[in-house]
Amino acid sequence: MKKRVFAWLTLALALVMAVGSVTFLGACVHEDGSFGTCHWASRALLGIGILLAAQSGIALATGHAGAYLCMAFTAALGLLLPGTLIRLCGMATMHCRAVMQPAMTLLNAGILILALAGFLLETRRAKRGTP
Amino acid sequence: MKSLPVKNLIRKPGRTAALMLLTAFLALAVFGGSLVVLSLRQGLNSLEARLGADIIVVPSEAQSKVSFQNMFLQGTTGAFYMDAENLKRVREIEGVEKAAPQIFLASLKADCCSVKIQVIGFDPQADFTVQPWIAQSYARELGEMDVVVGCKVEAGVGEILRIYDQRCKVVGRLAATGTGLDTAVYCNLDTIRLLLQAAEEKGVSHKVTSDSAADQVSAIYVKVKVGYDVGRVNTAIQGHTRKASAVRTRSMITDVSDSLAGISRTVTGLIGAVWVLAFLILLIAFAMIIRERRREFAVLRLAGMSRRMLSGLILRETALCSLLGGVLGVCAAALLAFPFATLIETALGLPYLTPDLRTVALLAAAAVAAAGIVGSLASAGAAWRLSRVDPGTILREGA
Repeated sequence: MKKRVFAWLTLALALVMAVGSVTFLGACVHEDGSFGTCHWASRALLGIGILLAAQSGIALATGHAGAYLCMAFTAALGLLLPGTLIRLCGMATMHCRAVMQPAMTLLNAGILILALAGFLLETRRAKRGTP
Repeated sequence: MKSLPVKNLIRKPGRTAALMLLTAFLALAVFGGSLVVLSLRQGLNSLEARLGADIIVVPSEAQSKVSFQNMFLQGTTGAFYMDAENLKRVREIEGVEKAAPQIFLASLKADCCSVKIQVIGFDPQADFTVQPWIAQSYARELGEMDVVVGCKVEAGVGEILRIYDQRCKVVGRLAATGTGLDTAVYCNLDTIRLLLQAAEEKGVSHKVTSDSAADQVSAIYVKVKVGYDVGRVNTAIQGHTRKASAVRTRSMITDVSDSLAGISRTVTGLIGAVWVLAFLILLIAFAMIIRERRREFAVLRLAGMSRRMLSGLILRETALCSLLGGVLGVCAAALLAFPFATLIETALGLPYLTPDLRTVALLAAAAVAAAGIVGSLASAGAAWRLSRVDPGTILREGA
């Protein structure tokens, strides 16, 4: 477990992201029951969360540096999703802007840093020839 | 020898991490708590500056629904109207220096966002509350269908906001006030009357009590002449206006100030409790760790290290560990407090304005320093006691 600590951490964050994007960290349904673009941003983040969890699983199982690198790129995409690639509500007090965006930014930034750290560690291990 | 404290910390990562977490908790409580209290105070000052008037006259219904105060504090939308005749009456009262009208309109779901937005129309010629604030970001006069948006409305300069299907051009964005006014859109009286008309055409009644929107106002901001008693002018306004209430802004600010004092007391109490608890835990933890490492320190003493050097080594080690923990705690608090500032503001329901970067940096430095000092103090006693014990006795104990 100690050897794959970065993969465990990214797995935990990815699961929080996936579950959170459709529950407490997701976008709200509008008063009239319609969905805004923020709803689809939260759905896209669910996908990113699941993808990151799968990549973490691969990193856990194989310890391959490439899995960490994929994770870093996916997290970077996750960072850009809410607000940049998919527009959110125009009022800063809305749940998507006040909760979803900052929480997802923090989660993706965390995964990005951990994935890069994991990538460096695994690359160094591979160079040394240690499993 | 100088690098020994660092090597000791690296050698036992688990122990170092546990101590760092404790001091991080201390710094998080101090920095996070102080930042919230400071932001609330800043928000209150901002509210005071933004109100700008001594008295605000609103329709009686607005006062009874407390909707007017909520508009300022929480940014809830409100639309209430009274006869514009009240403006003339207020201006005639002795002691009134200036009186400026404002008209409010709650939009339907605007296309920028999924919530109603508050539209505030003001008279640029008579206004003395909104105009100085707008002048900071837009120096020219507002034209017809020109709007200036609060900092929490995500619409850039040049963008078109559709309100009741009317195209309003965003000509400026206002600086943050930390109040409910940040979620509003501002325009001149001609524009708001057009919007009111458009709302009526769309079948949205704003309960305008007269046939013409031009005969209606939502609020009258009053500045009292120097030397006149605000209370007396307030009473005179109450007597001269119809279906309206005069609210002293001071009483509104006092209400907010009282709530803020309550929150400040709670936060300060919590910080104090966290500090006492964490200091006691650190005291016990350091005493246990130093006791556990007695043989290691005894060997160092036998190797030629003086009592002073040994105490210094222990203090440097704990200070370094506490400072690192302090930095960690400040970073954790910053990661929670800054991105979620809007959420904190909404949850508290009070004006909340984050202090400037310099104040935040000073606060962070103070929190880290406090964590370092407390950590060092907690270990000082145990370090002094250990340096007094004969190393030979310690080594014989374990034999």
